[in-house]
Amino acid sequence: MLLSKRLGRAAFAAFMTAAIPVGAQVTGDAAFSQVEKGRYLAVLGDCAACHTAPGLPPFAGGVVLQTPFGDLVAPNITPDPETGVGRMSLQDFQSVMSRGIGKGGYHLYGAMPFTAYTKVTAQDNAAIWAYLQTLEPVKNKVEPNQLPFPFNIRASLIGWNLLNFTQGEFKADPAKSPDWNRGAYIVEGLGHCGTCHTPKNLIGGDKNSQFLEGATLQGWFAPNITADPHKGIGAWSEDEIVQYLKTGANRFDIASGPMAELVEKSSQHWTDADLKAVAVYLKAGRNGEAKAPSPLPAGDKLMIAGQAIFADRCMGCHLSNGAGVPKLFPRLAEAPLVNAGDPTSLIRVVLAGSRAGATEAVPTGPAMPSFAWNLGDQEIAAVLTYVRNSWGNAAAPVEAKDVATLRKTLAP
Amino acid sequence: MLSTKTTRPNRRQFLSSTAIALFLCSTGRGLGETIAGSPAWKPFDASPPQTLGSGTWYFLTLDEVRMVGAITERLIPADELSISGKDAGCVEFIDRQLAGSYGSSERLYMKGPFQPGTPEQGDQFPLDPRQRYRLGLAGLQAHCRETYQKAFADLPPEQRDQVLTQLQTGAITLKDVDAKAFFALLLQNTMEGFFADPIYGGNKEMVSWRMLGFPGARYDYRDYIDKHNQKLDLPPLSIAGRSEWRVKD
Repeated sequence: MLLSKRLGRAAFAAFMTAAIPVGAQVTGDAAFSQVEKGRYLAVLGDCAACHTAPGLPPFAGGVVLQTPFGDLVAPNITPDPETGVGRMSLQDFQSVMSRGIGKGGYHLYGAMPFTAYTKVTAQDNAAIWAYLQTLEPVKNKVEPNQLPFPFNIRASLIGWNLLNFTQGEFKADPAKSPDWNRGAYIVEGLGHCGTCHTPKNLIGGDKNSQFLEGATLQGWFAPNITADPHKGIGAWSEDEIVQYLKTGANRFDIASGPMAELVEKSSQHWTDADLKAVAVYLKAGRNGEAKAPSPLPAGDKLMIAGQAIFADRCMGCHLSNGAGVPKLFPRLAEAPLVNAGDPTSLIRVVLAGSRAGATEAVPTGPAMPSFAWNLGDQEIAAVLTYVRNSWGNAAAPVEAKDVATLRKTLAP
Repeated sequence: MLSTKTTRPNRRQFLSSTAIALFLCSTGRGLGETIAGSPAWKPFDASPPQTLGSGTWYFLTLDEVRMVGAITERLIPADELSISGKDAGCVEFIDRQLAGSYGSSERLYMKGPFQPGTPEQGDQFPLDPRQRYRLGLAGLQAHCRETYQKAFADLPPEQRDQVLTQLQTGAITLKDVDAKAFFALLLQNTMEGFFADPIYGGNKEMVSWRMLGFPGARYDYRDYIDKHNQKLDLPPLSIAGRSEWRVKD
């Protein structure tokens, strides 16, 4: 009974939304493929990252997003009429995705990345909406806005939007290849890569001039994923980018932290064509004019202490030349994350340890142990400074006070 | 009387037993468990060695500290090879071991019956190391006061060596503990303190490891495999690190 009701709703939604000529017959197959398309797009956009909380049913909301302004909680997007999106129409959904304006005219916070989703086509939104209608309605009341005054006043977002939001669907560039255009559509739109990887301005908007150049959020630094050869992924081939997104690991790196979740829940399920398109787009991006800085001299006092610590605590896995072991221990030499301006993620994994993503292709999920008990703040600063200035790496020294701050913030 | 006649299964029994066997084989569930996904992991998960801080005594009284110092100073005397056992922190090591699970024989079966065993069977005493130290040191002190009218720690080094030798050979007896076994315990614990990782209180600045050329708690020698017939002179490494880790101005 429930099933047929849901199928009926899906078919109805598909009928209402699919751009089909008036009078055309909606067959069961068409409804099915529309829902399947929506299901894939929901995976591509990793809706579950925010809207599925651990231990709760899919898309029932409840994931807390810590922003610099306070906490926001992702809402329930199952078709429950009381607590979900059951009373919304496709037009309401289109308005959320395209304009950041919810049913009844209220403004959404930028944590819902409508600044990227505005690029998603109306057809794709219709498919996602059709898929959402097939979900089990779950009664789960979520209060999304848990920001303190004055950020909890949604009207303030009108000004925010003026400064940070350009509405409009993705426009293909006819001068570029279809792969590039598909990649751009995914990266800039539904994939919302910039939500983590693009630096933010003081009011939390994307600094679009620094698109994908890396940003810090929730105690992690999402690295530069431009084609910059030093700080970005310029050294990765298209195949290696595909391999990373598909399996969570390539010869350079292993996905960890929030990226591990993304790979596990989303990118390992992308089609090969979409993976290729994203790789083509990222490879063709800006490759950074800035010359790589020079490394600290080996005689620097931080480097001397750091080398001793590296030999005693790190070398067993990452090897004395920083090469690591593919798919098992990340490579430190010439790694974008290691050369990043912001060492937050590096400090974090040394302090707390980290678990790599486990995918169907690379299921091991190796973990790095925590060193917080064994290494002091100055020692962690020294060893990371050594790692950031050896084997072709070059980056600013890490400061002990930054280690101390993160240690305090992350302590369980 | 039991019948010795063998019975052959009839056709019905054979078929039904085969069916049951096949059924049991085909539903192998419940006997084994399939484990999928990654094992549990949580941030900051670590099991560092449990150690007690310095600057205080956890089990020994001040008199006992003085006495154990006077003993370990003779068991491992200062010479051209190293500082003495006392200066290397053996008293701290013994104090902390006695305060911990070793001292209370927490992990040993300590219920009777207690009877003499072979050397291979190890300790067969009803007393745990804490009790043996407390009673043994008191007995040794009483012996010294009776014989020399002095505390053990106040005896000159040669006389301390003599008393310890008598203890080792069983030439003197102590009131509550076996003298030879008590000496063996003292010697064993002093050596442990001298050679164990410094985080446990002894082996100050890895003095014994430097003496031996032991490189310490290292686990990766791949970079040295090809360096044949070369003296590596690796400085020793403690679980807590080594002095080269400190950033020197």
